[in-house]
Amino acid sequence: MGMGNVRKYSALIAVLAIVAMVVTGCGSTATTGGTSAGKTVTVTIGIGAPLTDGAVALGKGMVRGTNLAVKQANATKEIKDLGIVLQTVEGDDKGDPTTGGNVATQFVSNPSLVGVMGTLNSGVTRVAVKIYKQGNIVQVSPANTAVDLTQMGNENYFRVCTVDSVQGPFAADYAFKDAGKKAAFVVDDSTVYGVGLADEWAKQFEKDGGKVTGREKTGDKDTDFKALVTKIKSTNPDLVYYGGIYNSGALLSKQVKEGGLAVPVMSGDGSFDPEWIKLAGAEAAEGDMASNVGLPIDLMPKGQDFMAAYTAEFPGEVPAAYDAYSYDAANVIIKAIIVAAKDLGADKVTSTEGKKAIIAAVGKTNFEGVTGKVTFDSKGDTLNKTITVYAVKSGKWVPVSK
Amino acid sequence: MNFTLSYLLEQTINGITLGGLYALVALGYTMVYGILLMINFAHSELFMAGGYVGLGVLKLLADPAIAKGGLSFLAPMQAFFNSGTAGFVALIAVTFLISAIVVGLMGVFIERFAYRPLRHAPRLAPLISAIGVSIFLQNAALLWISSKQLPYSRADGTSFVPAKTAFTVFGVSVSTMQIMIIVTSLLLLAFLDTFVSKTRIGKAMRATSQDREAAGLMGVNINSVIALAFFIGPALGAVAGVFNGMYYGSVKFNMGFIPGIKSFTAAVIGGIGNLRGAMLGGFLLGIIESLASGFISNAYRDVIAFIVLILVLVFRPGGLLGEAVAEKV
Repeated sequence: MGMGNVRKYSALIAVLAIVAMVVTGCGSTATTGGTSAGKTVTVTIGIGAPLTDGAVALGKGMVRGTNLAVKQANATKEIKDLGIVLQTVEGDDKGDPTTGGNVATQFVSNPSLVGVMGTLNSGVTRVAVKIYKQGNIVQVSPANTAVDLTQMGNENYFRVCTVDSVQGPFAADYAFKDAGKKAAFVVDDSTVYGVGLADEWAKQFEKDGGKVTGREKTGDKDTDFKALVTKIKSTNPDLVYYGGIYNSGALLSKQVKEGGLAVPVMSGDGSFDPEWIKLAGAEAAEGDMASNVGLPIDLMPKGQDFMAAYTAEFPGEVPAAYDAYSYDAANVIIKAIIVAAKDLGADKVTSTEGKKAIIAAVGKTNFEGVTGKVTFDSKGDTLNKTITVYAVKSGKWVPVSK
Repeated sequence: MNFTLSYLLEQTINGITLGGLYALVALGYTMVYGILLMINFAHSELFMAGGYVGLGVLKLLADPAIAKGGLSFLAPMQAFFNSGTAGFVALIAVTFLISAIVVGLMGVFIERFAYRPLRHAPRLAPLISAIGVSIFLQNAALLWISSKQLPYSRADGTSFVPAKTAFTVFGVSVSTMQIMIIVTSLLLLAFLDTFVSKTRIGKAMRATSQDREAAGLMGVNINSVIALAFFIGPALGAVAGVFNGMYYGSVKFNMGFIPGIKSFTAAVIGGIGNLRGAMLGGFLLGIIESLASGFISNAYRDVIAFIVLILVLVFRPGGLLGEAVAEKV
């Protein structure tokens, strides 16, 4: 490279440097000037959920639960006095880890976003949580049940639901002891969630003395189970266990019965939705079982109040599996935002310092939520470990376990 | 698990049923390729559209909840379609006819506006246009219909085609649905084969496929031949889409993707551009998948299906029945 070139390049670099200084300079004056007393600060909570693909019914319920919590919080005097306006932004992860990573990157680059309520799928969180950690964004999941998510050293990650090592064995005990099932064929949908849950369930079912007649994998978007059903039938089980989400599980249930095998299908929280009954058809779904974290909403400590507010806000909608958990998870973040705003001032909430304060405050969460007492252990797992088993009776999910 | 003869038979019947669906969709890919040397990526979305149109027609004609929801003039018609064998047969026939015609016209429309303007453009242009149409149709279904997976049944959850056993052979029960799929697909395949090999229009299609310009010079109306191929292919795809919904129980806006890839694979295995090859490839792929799932592992069904594809391409690069349009000089 000749001298002329060097001169040309250094001129270019100098110009770029000046431009950069002007840009950043403008930026900082705007920040210092913009938050004088009397003005409000907008603070955003991201919602990471499947909204167009995957378990859409559960994802849309998560959005409703979160929006309800945010709307109620915005109406409180505490938030108004702090000069904060809360808002939510939806990120559609389609239940897919790669898309979930893109959503996370988008959320982190949003300057007013301080926390994420989500995700539904454990496999999505596995990717997204690291990106949130780099951005100092707190993530509170209402629904991730894969055991290892809190064992990976992510201090920004919390969840208000209990895990598969509690849910799986509870459901297996119910199937063996209460429902009297002795031989089960176990199927999973090859996702982090489905495999984990099916493994935990099968381990406990065998420990109880039950027999696992076979184990198979399917894809989480599969609709064709005809060949699998023929195989299941040849092993003569009295129960089929499915680790996965309702949209494939319900079709498995339908095809099991159409294939001439009159045994119920049992599944986990991802299948606990009215959509299961719609997709399988009430006749085929009759007797199917699903475990879900927590108590039925009407037995939850503040379930009545929640339902009253919920039906007023969303007339005609019925809460899916995680609406109440999403409401609590959103409140965890909102309460932490309030703590940080009181300590540092509202205009500092969206700074790095504020985001770190929010993570610390979430760790100290302690309040009575809709789903029960909301507190976390040192790893970010909830201390509320209730599970309920439901069965389809006359076309409705009805709690059957004590 | 005991692998008996009846188990093998039952898995084979599962495979033939699945293969019939693949073959119907594969014909659409192979016809367009045979004539235009273009892969119609939007074909899988026309399969999806067939599923939705079929569900709409079934609901209008036989779901009492629709009649109660304001469209009460449908009630007497629904009473007929919901009564007895005659009503059932009429319901199925009308559903397939309407779905095939609507989706067939969609195919013609897509060809007219998305592919024909690009016919003399470089080969990649219509291919990209096809991908665009595919994305458009998927998103249209997502935004205009529903992002949810919809059950293929009446509002009260009962199926339009009751899950009944048609007959039992060697201890294997074959369902009405399976008989319907196998018989319909074989009939349609035989009809198409005769149509293309015996009729004047069929001859025109074959001529166009061999040499478009020469056929045009000999007085064949190229545009109408191509439009016809774009009617028949999607119409057969629509039949498969309706069957897919009835047999497996749901429709979704992105349901076409996987069957589309599999059917395209079937067309390649049989020799793309060759109608009989597409049928052979479809049935072969269906049976292989079903047996792989039944005797090895459900997790490996696709792996094994694609290993077969690779083996076929290694030993017979043109597919099992070769390529029909290899005579260009």
